[in-house]
Amino acid sequence: MPRLSAPPSSFVRRHVCAWWQARHPRTDTQRLTHRNIYILPTKAGLLFAITMLTLLVASINYQLNLGYALTFLLSGSALVSMHLTHNTLHGLTLYLRPVAPTFAHHPAQLDVALQGPTDSRRDRFGIGLRLAGAPIESITWLNVNAGSRTTAQLSFVPPVRGRQSVPQWTVETRFPLGLFRAWAVWRPAAEVLVYPTPEATPPPLPAVQTSPGGGSAAQRQGRGEMDGIRTYRRGDPIKAIVWKKAAQAMASGAELVSRDTQAAQPCELWLDWQACVGLSAEERLSRLAAWVVLAQQRDIAFGLRLPDRALEPANGDAHRHQALQALALWS
Amino acid sequence: MKLSFALPHWPRDTRDTLFILAVIVWTVGPHLSHLPLWCIAMTGGILFWRARLALVGGVLPGRWFILGVLVLAMGLSFWSFGTLLGKQAGITMLVALVALKTLELRARRDAFVIFFLGFFLVLTHFLYSQSIGVALAMLVSVWGLLTALVLTHMPVGQPALRQAAGLAARTALLGAPVMVLLFVLFPRVAPLWGVPQDSMANTGLSDHLRMGSVAELAKSDAIVMRIRFLDPPPAPTAMYFRGPVLSHFDGIEWRPLSRPTFPSQVTPRAELRLQGKPLRYEVTLEPQHLREVPLLEAAASPPQREGVGMPLDLQLTEDLRWQARRVVSERVRLSAVAHTEFQHGPTERLLGLQDHLVLPPGTSPRTLEWAAALRRQPGLAKADGRTLAQAVLRHIRVENFRYTLTPGLYGVTAPSTAIDEFWLDRREGFCEHFATAFVVVMRALDVPARIVTGYQGADPLPVDGYHIVRQNSAHAWAEFWQPGEGWVRADPTAAVSPDRINRSVTLAAPPGLVVGTLRNALGGAEFLSRWQTSLEAVNNRWNQWVLSYSSSQQLDLLKQIGFIAPRWEDLAWTLLIVIGSVTTAGLSAGWWRRHRLDPWTTQMAGVRRKLVGLGVHPAEHDPPLTLARRVDDALGPRAQALGQALRELDNQRYGEAQPARALRRQFKHIRALARALSQPS
Repeated sequence: MPRLSAPPSSFVRRHVCAWWQARHPRTDTQRLTHRNIYILPTKAGLLFAITMLTLLVASINYQLNLGYALTFLLSGSALVSMHLTHNTLHGLTLYLRPVAPTFAHHPAQLDVALQGPTDSRRDRFGIGLRLAGAPIESITWLNVNAGSRTTAQLSFVPPVRGRQSVPQWTVETRFPLGLFRAWAVWRPAAEVLVYPTPEATPPPLPAVQTSPGGGSAAQRQGRGEMDGIRTYRRGDPIKAIVWKKAAQAMASGAELVSRDTQAAQPCELWLDWQACVGLSAEERLSRLAAWVVLAQQRDIAFGLRLPDRALEPANGDAHRHQALQALALWS
Repeated sequence: MKLSFALPHWPRDTRDTLFILAVIVWTVGPHLSHLPLWCIAMTGGILFWRARLALVGGVLPGRWFILGVLVLAMGLSFWSFGTLLGKQAGITMLVALVALKTLELRARRDAFVIFFLGFFLVLTHFLYSQSIGVALAMLVSVWGLLTALVLTHMPVGQPALRQAAGLAARTALLGAPVMVLLFVLFPRVAPLWGVPQDSMANTGLSDHLRMGSVAELAKSDAIVMRIRFLDPPPAPTAMYFRGPVLSHFDGIEWRPLSRPTFPSQVTPRAELRLQGKPLRYEVTLEPQHLREVPLLEAAASPPQREGVGMPLDLQLTEDLRWQARRVVSERVRLSAVAHTEFQHGPTERLLGLQDHLVLPPGTSPRTLEWAAALRRQPGLAKADGRTLAQAVLRHIRVENFRYTLTPGLYGVTAPSTAIDEFWLDRREGFCEHFATAFVVVMRALDVPARIVTGYQGADPLPVDGYHIVRQNSAHAWAEFWQPGEGWVRADPTAAVSPDRINRSVTLAAPPGLVVGTLRNALGGAEFLSRWQTSLEAVNNRWNQWVLSYSSSQQLDLLKQIGFIAPRWEDLAWTLLIVIGSVTTAGLSAGWWRRHRLDPWTTQMAGVRRKLVGLGVHPAEHDPPLTLARRVDDALGPRAQALGQALRELDNQRYGEAQPARALRRQFKHIRALARALSQPS
């Protein structure tokens, strides 16, 4: 498998890389067919071949007809197992759900679903998923039962902030006899937003400034009450979902509903790029990310000031995401 | 596999390990009688210990410990067999190795070596027996090994043994056509190199004789040959099938006379003189792994080979054997002619006959004294060979000689006195003892004599018109030289146990306790023999179709397909052509399948196209539920039925499993609704 991360140096390598990427277009819904499933004997398969050869020679030398029968039975089974191994992957479709943002150096969760064709009645066993090039121990094993969808949670650790493409995965199997390994490469098209790594031991939050606007008391009272409900949006915290209403809504075919809390906060906290003097840009981003997390944890409204932009003080998961996204994509 | 319900609920790893151990025990089991005691104890101990470790979750021993035990096993093996090569030592080491390997069974992937050693172990059983029983037992072993292999590759959860066994059986059954194809068409070639001698010594005649070696044969039911007589069959007494002739005696062992001591002019020749009518017959010989072809005495012309195969180049030797140029290791069918009345050998006392008088100095001194005493009897001093032979046979008949298959060992203290012990002291033995002693006595009386080995008699009742000769008909008799007549056959065993010769009842080994009890319980020998006859028919088929399938049958098969003069290269071609066409068919099927999409995808694409026609804009990944909502939003109440149908489809797809038929009907319904909506009303 060509290493895609390394910059192609030579002409041949560049072409191999181009060919490889053309063969494996990025997609979030990957159907496994003859075109993208590879199969080769395993080490155990080669050992098995040697065993068969020895059995055959023994049968010839001792003129044992049952020895021939044994050798051919096992060879026949091995041949069939090659097809079964291939068929375990063949026809399978892999789906990747949209990936939630994560912090650099923190695992990003991938929700993957596997499903066979609807007209297939075969259960599929021993399908493994792992990051391409990762050790075998990191593999996640699954069974895919006929007619049902199997989900798996995978994770990978993005090394840097920004919009990162999901790395390529290997889906493989050795079922049933382990003599052959069939595998396919999956390059998901999805991108994951990677926030900067929060600083491990950040200094305390900067001092809080009083808010310029009035009526804070009334707004404060309003917190915790329902300001209204709206359709669930990604990023809404689970605790914001109005489960009773959601259940009713879902029964009638609608989606989840969550509370709409647009309440402004009484105090304002400004997280400022300029406050992190003496640090490099990445270190500043790390510190700001840590502060965003801290402020969110303490439920304090905060604003964010970067050299080229500023976010007005606000509260809530959506705001936190906006702030972190700004940090992630800052350049 | 009802058993699995009764088993306690072990953790997965424990259960898998115990299963592998059980399969190993089953596979090693039939070897118990061939293994030295230390190996049985060591293997049993290790397997038991491993099972305990699996049950209590103990720590496996280290590498050095295992290496130590392995070295110990090698040492003991060398001590038992004097070598590490050869069949017995090899199997012993293999069993020890499999047992030791279980101690290294940490991850499931470690099991591979055990599986492969297990397959070897299965093969080794066929060196001893290829009977139906062994085949079935080993089929179970292979099934067990494959099941364990499948279990290893089901890493999720705790799959039921029954499920894994089912999957293994499915794999093997799907592979069965390949097996049959290869079995039928894979060219049967001669052994690639000489096999160690001990592998065959106890399953057929051999070219040397030592007291005890024929006793092994007498216990074997294996079929040697099947004969169909084209002329009226001879009396069982006349059925002597001549095998190796042993004339060279070194005091302990008899071997064929390798090289005559005398010039060729004075060396006896075959000089076959036929009398009486010829007797035509066809014989199918099982592989004997000898150069001699045991034919009915006496055959003057070379037998014709039926069918096709590598030429045998049979030659008649001076001692009347028919010998092939090579070891015959395949099944051959011959048509031959015998003359049961004949004379052979020199009529004059040629100098070369001295070779058949040799007795090594110091051999059986008391028997020689006894012979000298016989010579001194009145009337025998100047007697010829025939008179002397009759006197010796009379002695056997009159004295208390006893025929038994279990005479015990002779000559334990001094091998050279074995014949003294038999002839004068214990007087218990079987054909080999009698023939040996007779020849020694005759030589002591100055009559040239030699041992002939082969088969005598056949099963009393022919099966399907075939007379069957088995290994337990193996026999040894004697020939002495008579002036004017040449070599004369003398069967000293007939003198002691006339029954054996006259009615051709082979003397079976005395039944063990279990068989004896069974026989009494089941209504005596008659029931058993009837049972045996029907079993015989099954065995006959097994022997004919499976065990004796060889190059000649393969080439016959090709002839039936239409080859005019098939050679073994044609077999290889046929095999290649069949494999090629099957592969092509498989590839075409795969190509066809590649262009076939999942019906759900196809149908959903159709629905989406219809919706686009209605002015709805679905995304490609939308499930039916989302489509329904989009329909509601875009078309309003007039499309209520369509929305409802899409919700039902969603429920059918993601709710409880529905037959594919229901889904198809729903799609049809949806398409009809969409069509109705698109028509201007």
